[in-house]
Order: sequence, then C-alpha cells, then structure tokens
Amino acid sequence: MTRDEADHGRRMEKKMEEQKVMYDSGNELAAYAAKQINYHVMGYYPITPSTQIAENLDTMRAEGQHDILLIAAEGEHSAAGICYGASAGGGRVFNATSANGLLYALEQFPVQSGTRMPMVMNIACRTISGPLCIKGDHSDVMYMLNTGWIILFADEPQKVYDFNLLGLKLAEQVRLPVAVAFDGFFTSHQKRKCLVFSDDAVVQRYIGPKLSSDSPATSAFAKECSTGENCFSSVLDLAHPISVGSYMNEPDVINNRYQLHLAMEEARRKLPDLFAEYETLSGRKLSFCDGYQANDAEILLFVLGSSYYTAMEAVDALRREGVKAGVITLYVLRPFPAMELRELCKNAKTILVADRQDSYGAGGGNMTLEIRAALQGQKSGSAAPRILSRVYGLGGMDFFVEDAIALFREGLMETAADFDYYGVTSGTADSGKAQPQYFKPITEEESSKGITTCVFDEAAGKMTVTGGALKDATGMPMRIAPGHGACPGCGIPVNLNLLLKGIEGNVVLLFQTGCGMVVTTGYPKTAFRVPYLHNLFQNGAATLSGVVEVFHQRQKRGEYPEGQITFLMVSGDGGMDIGMGSALGTALRGHRMIIFEYDNGGYMNTGYQLSYSTPMGARSSTSHVGKDQYGKSFFHKDTPELMAATHIPYIATVAESNPSDFIRKAAKAAAYSREFGTAYLKALSACPLNWNDKPDLERSVISAAVDCCYFPLYEIERGITTLTYDPQSKNKKIPVTEWLGMMGRTKHLLKDEYRSVTEEIQAEIDRRFARLCARAEHPLL
Amino acid sequence: MNEKTTLPVVNEHGYFEIRLESIGGLGANLCGKMLGELGALLLSLNSLSFSSYGSEKRGSPVKAYIRWCENEKPLRVNSPVTHPHILALFHEGLIGTYPVLDGVSVDTKIILNTPLSPEDAAEKHHITMGELYCLDALAIAMECKSRINMVMLGAIAKASGFISLDDAKQICRDSIGKKYPALIDANLTGVELGYTRLAKAAAERNVEPLPEGGREQFVWGYDNAPIGGVNPRIGSTVSNNLSPSREGYIPLFLPEKCINCGLCDSTCPDMVFQFAPGIYKGKECMVNHGVDYYHCKGCLRCVEVCPTNALVTALEKDYPEKPHFVPNRHLLPDAITYQETGANSWITSDSYLDEKRVNGGVV
Repeated sequence: MTRDEADHGRRMEKKMEEQKVMYDSGNELAAYAAKQINYHVMGYYPITPSTQIAENLDTMRAEGQHDILLIAAEGEHSAAGICYGASAGGGRVFNATSANGLLYALEQFPVQSGTRMPMVMNIACRTISGPLCIKGDHSDVMYMLNTGWIILFADEPQKVYDFNLLGLKLAEQVRLPVAVAFDGFFTSHQKRKCLVFSDDAVVQRYIGPKLSSDSPATSAFAKECSTGENCFSSVLDLAHPISVGSYMNEPDVINNRYQLHLAMEEARRKLPDLFAEYETLSGRKLSFCDGYQANDAEILLFVLGSSYYTAMEAVDALRREGVKAGVITLYVLRPFPAMELRELCKNAKTILVADRQDSYGAGGGNMTLEIRAALQGQKSGSAAPRILSRVYGLGGMDFFVEDAIALFREGLMETAADFDYYGVTSGTADSGKAQPQYFKPITEEESSKGITTCVFDEAAGKMTVTGGALKDATGMPMRIAPGHGACPGCGIPVNLNLLLKGIEGNVVLLFQTGCGMVVTTGYPKTAFRVPYLHNLFQNGAATLSGVVEVFHQRQKRGEYPEGQITFLMVSGDGGMDIGMGSALGTALRGHRMIIFEYDNGGYMNTGYQLSYSTPMGARSSTSHVGKDQYGKSFFHKDTPELMAATHIPYIATVAESNPSDFIRKAAKAAAYSREFGTAYLKALSACPLNWNDKPDLERSVISAAVDCCYFPLYEIERGITTLTYDPQSKNKKIPVTEWLGMMGRTKHLLKDEYRSVTEEIQAEIDRRFARLCARAEHPLL
Repeated sequence: MNEKTTLPVVNEHGYFEIRLESIGGLGANLCGKMLGELGALLLSLNSLSFSSYGSEKRGSPVKAYIRWCENEKPLRVNSPVTHPHILALFHEGLIGTYPVLDGVSVDTKIILNTPLSPEDAAEKHHITMGELYCLDALAIAMECKSRINMVMLGAIAKASGFISLDDAKQICRDSIGKKYPALIDANLTGVELGYTRLAKAAAERNVEPLPEGGREQFVWGYDNAPIGGVNPRIGSTVSNNLSPSREGYIPLFLPEKCINCGLCDSTCPDMVFQFAPGIYKGKECMVNHGVDYYHCKGCLRCVEVCPTNALVTALEKDYPEKPHFVPNRHLLPDAITYQETGANSWITSDSYLDEKRVNGGVV
C-alpha cells in the first residue's frame, strides 16, 4: 500500500457516511434523492416513463415525509415555466420528464441556462413521437445537447441517485441547470439493490444551504451577496431589486453566451473534485466516462446507458475467444469529456459507436458525431482508429448479450459499412395477399340512415333536431370496429358510439393522445373504418382545423369532389388541459368541426394522474390520500364554460345515461359544425379501472353524476343556455355524496373527517348549477 | 437476513433467472417485485426485477422477470429472461396462444396454475421438456381469500428448492403487511397453501423438444410496411378475439324476451350486438340477431340496462356452445383468423394501484 492509498483509506474510514440498502428503481431513487434534498418546488407534467418520480414524491408527501410543493402543470411547457419562476425566486427546483414532454418544454431550457438559474431535471429517456411510442431510446435527450444544460447520464439506478445529489451541488456551484438522464424503463423501472444515505441530514449537509440574497439568514452579508459566490440573487429580493431577462442583442448576446461557455468549462474543472468528494462520502467512484477492458482493446464498443453492462458480458465472452474487445461509456455528455475519452480509446484500432438514436442524414447518431469529433483531436503519434456507427435499440428494443457480440463481430469485419442500422426487419414478402381487408369502407349512403334530422329554423335562430331513438340508432354502421383493447366496461367506446350514431354521412376523425387512441390503434391493427389522424394532445384541435381548411380549399379549387364531411376531434385523458390553448384558438377561429371531449376525470392512459377535471378530493396517483393530504386539492375544471367564452355556435354536455339526448345533441353539433363553425361536446366518461367501481354499473354512476348536478346536462345554442335535463324539477336531485360514494376513488370522502371537503364540493356544485339555472332563465346571460 | 444463499444452478453468465407469464390483473408484476426484494433483502443475493412494459390497459399478456446472482457479482444483464430456470405460468390459457414456453430446457422448473394434475397438464399442453409442477392457484386463492400471485409466490419458493417458506412469508409481510394489514393473514395463508399444495409430476424430467409456440406469421418490415406508420387495414382490430378478457361470466341472450329497444347497443363498449333489418311484431325494424362473443369482454353492462331481462348473466362454463353467437355481420367473407388477446378486466383499485406502481404506464 502506498502512502497515498493509506491516506485515502483513512479518509474513507473517517468520512464515509452511513448508508442503507434499498431495492428500488431509477425513478424511485430519483424521488428518494429529491425527498432527501427537500426541494422547495417540483413543477411537472406526467409523462411515461418519468411519471413515477412525481407519483412517488406524492406518496411520500401524503405520508408527511417531505415538504416539496408538487405542482402538476397543465403541460410540460408550463411545468418548465413553474420551475423557472421558482428558481428565479430563490428556490431549489426539481422536474422530471421524457420524450415529447421534453420537446414541448424545449424552448424553456435555454432560458433557464442563459439566465443562469440552477435546477435539476430528470429525463427518463424515451422515443419521441411519431408514430407514438412509449418505450425507451435516446432520441429525446439528444435534443438537450445545445441547451446549455449540464447533462449527466446514469447507466444504473444507483447512479440516478448519486447524480441527483451531485448534480444539484454542481448546478449551484456553476449556476447552470443540470439534467440527469437515464434509460426509460431499463433504468427507470428496473429494480436493483442500491445504497442511499441513511440520514437525510447527511444529504442536506453535503449539498449545503442555498443562500438567497433575500433570506433573513443572509441579510447580514447581503451586500456581498449580490456578487458573492455562494449567494443567489432573487426576484423576491425587495431590498436589492434585479431585472432578470433583459432584452439583449449584439454585441451583448455573444458575451452572455461566452459566460455560459465559461460556466460549462468551470463545471468541467469542478467535476473531478466533486467526484472525489462524493466518493469519500459514499465509497462510490464516479467519473466522466468509463471503460471495461478498454486499455489494451483493439476493438472498442461505445454504448450509452444500461447497455454498457450488457456489453461487458459480451466483452468477457469475446476475450475468452481471444478477441481483444473492450467497451466504453460516458457519464457526462455536457461538458463533453473529449480528453478523458481520448485516453480511453488510445489503443483501439476500431471503435464501433452504437447510438440509440439517429441524427438522420449525418451518418450516425449524436454520440458517433461527437466521438468522431473528439478523436480528431487525438495527439499525433498513434494511428487514428477506424470509427464505425450503428443505430440500435430504437423504440425500447431489448439489447441482449448476443446483440452486443453481434455488434463486435461487425466491427471486426474489414468490410463493415461505416454506418448502418442494427436490428431492422425487411418483413414478409408478398404482403398484399397475406393481408386482406376485413371490411369494406363505409359509404356515405350507408351512414345516412335518417336516424336524426336537423333543420335550421331561421326565424327562431335555432336548429331543430328530430329522431335519435335508440331502436333506430342500431342501424348506424359502426365507424369504429370491435376488438379494440379498452378495459371491460370502459366508457370511451360507449360515448364514441353514441356520438357517431348521431352523425349522418361522412366523417373524418382526429384523436389526441389518450386511452381512446392507445386502445384503438396498436400497430399493426386499427379499429377505425373511417379516415383517422392522431396528433399529440396539445395540438389535436389545431391539427384538425388544418384538415378542415385544406378540405375547403381543395374543394374550392376543384381538386376534391363536392359534398360534406363532418370533422370530429376527440380529446380525453387530460387533453383539455394541455390542449386547452389549441382548442380555444380553434374555437376562436371558428373552424367548421366538432371538438368532442370524453372526460374520464384523470390521465387514465398513463395510470391515473390527476387532471384538472378530476373531482376535488379524489384519490389519484398524484393526489394520494394520507395523513397530510385528502386527495386532489382543487375543484374540477368547468371546460364548457371556458369554451362558452369563445362564443362558438353550439356547446353541449352529454351523458350515456340520457342516450337519445346524447344522439340528438351529436346531430345538432354536426349540423352546426357543417354550416356555422366550431361545436363543442363534452361527455362524462366512466373509467371502471381508475374510478374503482364495477363496470356493469357505470351507467348508473354516470346517471348519479348528472342527478347530483356535478355534471348537469345543458346546451348553449348561439348564446342561449337551455337546461336539457333538470333533476330538480324531476325530483331526482341527490346529494353529491351519493355519487362520490359509488366510486372507490372518492369513497374515502364520506368519512366524517372529510365532511368539510364534501360540504365544500356540494356548495361549489350548487353554486355552479344555480348560475346555470339563472342563465337558462334569462336569454341575455 | 440469511447468511448466504447458494444458487443451485446458474447460466453461462452466472445468473439464476425466473420468468413469470401472466395476463394483466393476476398480480404477476407484484409477485415479481416481491421475488426481487426477497432475493435482495432476505437471500443476500444481488437481485434485479422488472415487468414487461406497456399499456395500463388490463389483460394484455404480462411478463415479469427476476435475475439473481451472488451478492458480490455485478448484475450486468438487463434484457428479458429467455432461458428461465423457473418459469411460472399464472394463466393456463396462454399456452398455445403465446410462446410462453419458449426457452424451456430440461432443467427448467415449470410451475403451472391449473386444476389438472401434472400428468394430465403435461399431456394436454404437450409439456415435454423440463420439470413440471402444478397447483390450482385460483381455487386456493378463493379458498383462503388471497390472490393468485400470493399462491404462486409460495409455489415458486417451494419449487426453487432454496427459498424457505419463512422467507416467502416474510416478504409477504414486508410488502403487503404494512400497507394492507387487514389482508395479511389471508395472504400468508395463500403463500403457505401455494407452498404446501404444489404437486410435482411423477416423471423426474421431460426431455422431448417442445413444439413451437404460437407466433405471428406475417411481419411488417421496412420493405413492406407503408411509410410513415400509416395503417390501411380498416377495422383490423376485429381479428382480436377478446374472450380471454372475460372473468367467467357472459351475457346470455334470450331473443324471445327482446323488444329490440337498442339499449344494449347503446351501452356496449365492444360493439357486440348484431342488429340487422328484420321483422318484429309484424313491423320492419332493426332486430337483434345475436351476440358477437369474439369481442365481448364480459363487462355485463348490457345485462344491467336490459329492461326485459332478454340479457341475463350466465356462467360461461355452462354454455360451451354459446347460443345466438353471431360474428360481426359487416365482415367481408374472407376467412378471419382470430388472435386471442385482451383485457383480463378490471380488478379492485386497492390491489390494482399496487400493481400499477410497479408496472408504470403509457404515454
């Protein structure tokens, strides 16, 4: 043992903190680290596979284990805004996202870094859409490379924990935001044995307090604070007001960016010390990059993330054959550790860089491009290695040891192509014969049954609708085929069928992301027998407005036959939260289409996180019930009223418990949308799985929601409100607790301890219903 | 915590591997998580566990994987288990439909949830490879008011030969006891009965190669798939047979009582009622010709709304030939090959929420 080693040993003995064994996933450990840090605020929006981080924090919060304010934004863009504001106000801030959520928030990230607000965001990496894929690859995180964020990449759950702690410390030292990325599912969901500090205080001591210039604790040295190293200025500092976010052009921007560059270089300098310090505390060695059997390797495989370990098994197998194979990986993508990487590669003759994404047209994914660039700077003297590139493992495709061996073998071939995809399939030949159609397309005649008839009464200024009897409506051909994967008793297909029974003639459908979309279009099958388009759920209404307008444009130019189509946009699962702006914009522009919302009261497609339409008090996976929390803390969103403010010609609420009324309103909405402008329909849609009630009883649950006036049935036709079903006058009105008691998600509210909550809910429902009645009585309201 | 567990057998990379095959709702995810914890926290092993990732929807086939090695050895493989040392089949119906027996070798211990004896089960399902163990986990779970996954946990412990009943019960207490103290006794009984009632086939080992499991014959690839992920096969979900979603009950149609009001059609999420023009009480109208049981998930919404009891709840096993079974009447005449799939249905949220936290979600 050298003297240095002996010193090191003593230090380890002295400073290593007590740790405990946990059996957790990457997501669970990210949440656990956040809980130990006790951030001020987490602004987030649920998206698979990162959602569990917020869910776990909410569970811990309900049990009183931390005091982080968890703010479920209405979309990732807003979540990033919440984080930015909270960090500008001197707080410690946390976020977690994936895939299109990351991209939706993308414009905010350079704002965060350019104005030098530290925070930590976890990225559980997932394939970006479209076609929509929920599984893992690195196509999302690579969009972060140019944002000015430090990017740490964890290849196992343990490092997710470690990087979450070290990352915050680094962020605050160099005043840059830090992204902690890791493989979605492989790392985010796989449970492993790991170590965490036993005492939260150890974590807080390690990171140290965040000193804000406005804090009473720091006011004594507030003067130095404005420039002090460890003290942050804040927009809450009234004594030392600052302006954040100047309007800045040349020649200043380049200097601002140069400062950011210097901060990144500072991070590069500080990281080795931070790694060493963390090793002292934890006993775990962290580094910029790592290699396994890399020193004397002639063929090196580069992989990022969890594949690193799989490749080690391949290396061992190849070494047994006498092949000098090795594997390398990166833990820090920004700042890019070119020097350390060159050291790892110094003896390699061939490096095969396997990217879990592609920078299409560039001849490799981003890691290929960066490694090629880094090795350009190789000191002269050694021959430059041959660098091959393979794109692999997209869309969550598993990476077996055999795959890693196959990649090595490709790299060993003299004739190997510089760039290719690994793992693609050409498909069965002669596809035409093997894939017959099951149905003929539905003709306009077949779907024009006269089940409903709408006539616009010019004098009254109203649409008169007749028909809609259920016994006739059975004759409408199903535009959606059976065999979809909705849960037994699901309300979504029920509502869609009722809606479509009321719409005569041609239809074109657009679904936003949600249960309704996921269960109908799992490739290679589709339930739709009529034209269908999907777009992400912040943008469905706008997308369909584009379809509508090109239809009219092309008809006008004689490129498309005469005739009518009813255009129908279907939203649900919180689509009217994140997609509200798009829906309002579409309504204000007045495109001739229907916006239909099936409101299942939660983000059911991702495992029931709260939506703004979730009833107050309801349990969800981001509004747990525990000693410190009773469920969702605010009232359900009144979307029809928001839509009413756009003054579109027709708005109505519909319920399967009043099926003929539903069909007639659908017919009216279709007639209005074809002739006048945008129509909006909203159905309350049962979700047996997450409402936690019995599938066969769902119609009565919906009926109770209507009868307790939680979901009143009415329409607003050209500004005139009409109650189409009044439980009061029919003597059917019930207290809201009757409805809440029918569902497992709200049953707890009937306990005595929650009486004040149910009273509040009842009062709000009564108030909203009274307003509605007043409007129905007075045409001007 | 045990001193040290010696794994009886490991693969070429040094791992002992377990695969659970199930359909959503039977609790395989939770069982896998508990086995992972058991390895890490009670057996002093290095341990990893995960489930097949996918939709929150009930019923698609679910797999859970557990991989163990000595505590000092790093766990370097995170891909699914292809050659399990223990294969637990939670749902008998998966055999033949899905390739759930893939990777079985002569040393694989197969644990099958079935009312059949090991000998009968081996013959029925052509299980000609590995060491077969059977138990009626559903009956046991019902008997002791536990769940299938707890019974299977006990069975897996027993078959493994190195997991003690005490450890299996301990992990049950650790996982479920804290959250649901009221359910713990029933579940401990479930684990114990799974452990004690597991029956082993008389033959020491089966050694004949297994027949190929069911697989998609046709594959879309970059050469033949329409660009952009476009799907031109309208209504193609119709080829899914969702019968496995049902939980033992069907709506039974009694046409003589039917007044063709259409309420059933208005509440059915699965478009199963085959209305077509016909004559009712001497008048031309839409008439209900029957039920498309290929797509009925057994939710029984229709029974609840039928005003004349023309639709009633019946035990599926009492009607092997379902009366008035009418396939979708709009199908083109070409032969359709149904693919069994689908939701194993809702289960109560208490149990489900647990499941879900393990499984993650979509989108």
